[in-house]
Amino acid sequence: MDDHSQPTPFFLRAILAIVWKDLRAEFRSLELVSSMLVFSLLVILIFNFALELDIKTRQSVTAGVLWATFAFAGTLGLNRSMSIEKDRGCMDGLLLAPVDRSAIYFGKFISNLAFMLLVEVFVLPIYSVLYNTNLFQPGLLLVILLGSIGYTAVGTLLAAMSVQTRTRDVLLPILLFPVAFSVLLAAVKASGGFLSNSELTDILLPINLLIAYDVIFIAVAFMVFDIVVEE
Amino acid sequence: MRPKPMTLKILDVISILVLGIAAYLALVVAPTELVMGDVQRVFYFHVGTAWTALLGFIFSAVLSVIYLVTKDLKWDRIQVAAIEVSLVFFFITIVLGSIWARPAWNTWWTWDPRLTTATITELIYIAYFMLRQGIDDPDRRARFGAVYALLGGISAPITFFAIRLFRTIHPVVIGGSNVNAEGGFSMTADMLGVFFFALFAFTVIFIDLFWNRIRLGDLQEQVEQLKLKVAG
Amino acid sequence: MFFQEPTPDTSSYMIAGYVVAFIVMGLYVASLYLRNRNLNRDMAMLEEMDKPVVKMELKQPKKKPAKPQTKSVTKRGRKKRP
Repeated sequence: MDDHSQPTPFFLRAILAIVWKDLRAEFRSLELVSSMLVFSLLVILIFNFALELDIKTRQSVTAGVLWATFAFAGTLGLNRSMSIEKDRGCMDGLLLAPVDRSAIYFGKFISNLAFMLLVEVFVLPIYSVLYNTNLFQPGLLLVILLGSIGYTAVGTLLAAMSVQTRTRDVLLPILLFPVAFSVLLAAVKASGGFLSNSELTDILLPINLLIAYDVIFIAVAFMVFDIVVEE
Repeated sequence: MRPKPMTLKILDVISILVLGIAAYLALVVAPTELVMGDVQRVFYFHVGTAWTALLGFIFSAVLSVIYLVTKDLKWDRIQVAAIEVSLVFFFITIVLGSIWARPAWNTWWTWDPRLTTATITELIYIAYFMLRQGIDDPDRRARFGAVYALLGGISAPITFFAIRLFRTIHPVVIGGSNVNAEGGFSMTADMLGVFFFALFAFTVIFIDLFWNRIRLGDLQEQVEQLKLKVAG
Repeated sequence: MFFQEPTPDTSSYMIAGYVVAFIVMGLYVASLYLRNRNLNRDMAMLEEMDKPVVKMELKQPKKKPAKPQTKSVTKRGRKKRP
């Protein structure tokens, strides 16, 4: 029997294969990342005009606007990523492969995360320019990483479910936002803390929460994923 | 269709009685609170419904696990019943909370921790039903429902602790005589009596509605089976 | 004690609260009742459709103990014999 004390090399190879497949497919067309990016910019613009704030107030909403943008763009990416799998029959192929189902989960999770981070990397400088704030602080980048991990961990699982329903794309945000609420909240809190140069002790609490959430939900999602994709 | 068991019929009657007594106690017998006035009386129903609904949600997460292990659709039907009744009760909680907030804190709504968590939790379980509605295959519907209820059940307490990062203006009533939280009050002995009776009453009512709802689910299942048989 | 404000009259809110609570619960009970009734009707109809057609066509003299709803003619017409 398999030695479950360490992930077998085969397991890891399977994950990497899935990630590599997704990344290669994406870089050929760039359709996913480009649509997420354009969408993010539009959202930021809308917030810019809708909120019409003076410079000082803008600073205080930066964290919120940023995470709202990431949440919406993230949903887009998750939906597309899973729909592509289903529509092209890739998912069936993956399921037939002699690979642990949780490897599929980790593979999709990592590639979804990669796309989301890529989009965020492009959004940050644009936001910095538009709002005249420097967003490239290490603390903030850490929060963005942790938040994206948590969001994508749950999102990948829920997208796998929603793509199998009649209502499909529309359902994912409905399922995801309430469950991911605490990630977004903690992320906004922590981001805001770093941007306003708060005491580190204040920021530690939301960061701990983010880490806890990431751990808990990656564990739960990976255990439950294969129930969700079985035929 | 099995006729309604006698126990359930009795329970129906008891539920109505107990509801009436609780209302009477809350509206007439309990003393008027000094600072807030009569609106405080909604508190008895507010906590009664909150308490049972939250237990219902936790129970439904447990049911998820049971279903996923046993694969017996009976547990799925029980879960649907639990979540549906809890959803209704929790809705009452939220509305009563808002009504209480208005004269106490001078606002219909406030994004304070408990209210926010309550809304998010309610949305999770509404999403549960929307998820189920989009699936035709009963086995898949049950599986996905169970997974989502489990996720929701885990995330709800996390959400609560997350929002506790902020100061709350929600009254900490059981904390006793600390009236520093605005809108808080300490309960006198007779209020306590009414309070516990209301908790008991809503537990009884919840069980009654829950049982009835399970039977409805069973009936639905029988009808579905018969439909398949007749059409086939 | 002299400077304490009198207890405000918030009874209208209290009434609103209780009215809402009772209405919501009432609506839910009504929904349970209606759904139950509809399902029972469906059940009766399906049981009717499920009755073996043979007995109806041969007009057996011996009737089964009376069912609560007996229809002699259905609008759906006769089923074809297999």
